Amino acid sequence: MRHDVARKRRPAFTHLIWWFLFAQGGIIAAILIPVHVLVQGILGPLHIVPVVDRHYDTWIRFLGNPIVKLYLLVLVAAPFFHFAHRLRYLLVDLGVPAARTLPAQAVFYGGAVVITGVTFWVLLTTAPLSFG
Amino acid sequence: METVTSDVVKEPPGSAEAASAGSAPRVYKPEMPLGWWLRQRHYFLYIVREFTALPLALWLLWLLFEIQRASTGPKGYYPPESAAFVVFSVIVLGFALYHSYTFLSLAGVIINIKLLDKPIPSRVIVLSQFAAWFVASVVIAAVLIGFAR
Repeated sequence: MRHDVARKRRPAFTHLIWWFLFAQGGIIAAILIPVHVLVQGILGPLHIVPVVDRHYDTWIRFLGNPIVKLYLLVLVAAPFFHFAHRLRYLLVDLGVPAARTLPAQAVFYGGAVVITGVTFWVLLTTAPLSFG
Repeated sequence: METVTSDVVKEPPGSAEAASAGSAPRVYKPEMPLGWWLRQRHYFLYIVREFTALPLALWLLWLLFEIQRASTGPKGYYPPESAAFVVFSVIVLGFALYHSYTFLSLAGVIINIKLLDKPIPSRVIVLSQFAAWFVASVVIAAVLIGFAR
């Protein structure tokens, strides 16, 4: 019993890291995503306003900007650490205790890491860097 | 956010008498009925809040795909036009707004700042979060529209 108590008092550093990423991803998703969905997903396709991704030339020039690349990396990758945490616990709440296990953690948080890598690669290879 | 209860809980000593000496301790596994979250409005809204992650994730994956498609060159690129995509975005926008509302409202509970030894009221903190959301939205919309032709 004494051994159990000592083990429980150890700070949960990994949990702290995932919790921090969960909070940061959540705030980024809350502040940035709705306007992208509204402008790029609704107003643009309905031709209500001109949007940068409606034409190849404006979109590729936009994607070449290093500040835009950095912004898009944060916009796309960071929320996935939030989503991973939420969806894992959603499964637990809906009666899937296996979502608590280490393999499940590897799948969900590993998935967020993979998406970060893919986003990095897509942003580096899609449009050549331009400072104009 | 999520419960911190263990899914394996030992029974209290009094009730352990039924277990014979030497056998493994009996475990209590709390079981929730599958539809527990449909019983109360608060449970339902909690599950909806957690579920917002899925449509938002799908929309961001679409955005990543949209970025990647720009590498196909001017002839292969065509902007999203379909009614199905607009309907999908309208549904996602509903979930996105609910995520923003619930997450930014939480800041009033989490953030605790003192100014001149007086705690800043949580209403002010929540208002500042919503103001930041508004300003960021206006700036991003201006950039997405301003760089178009």
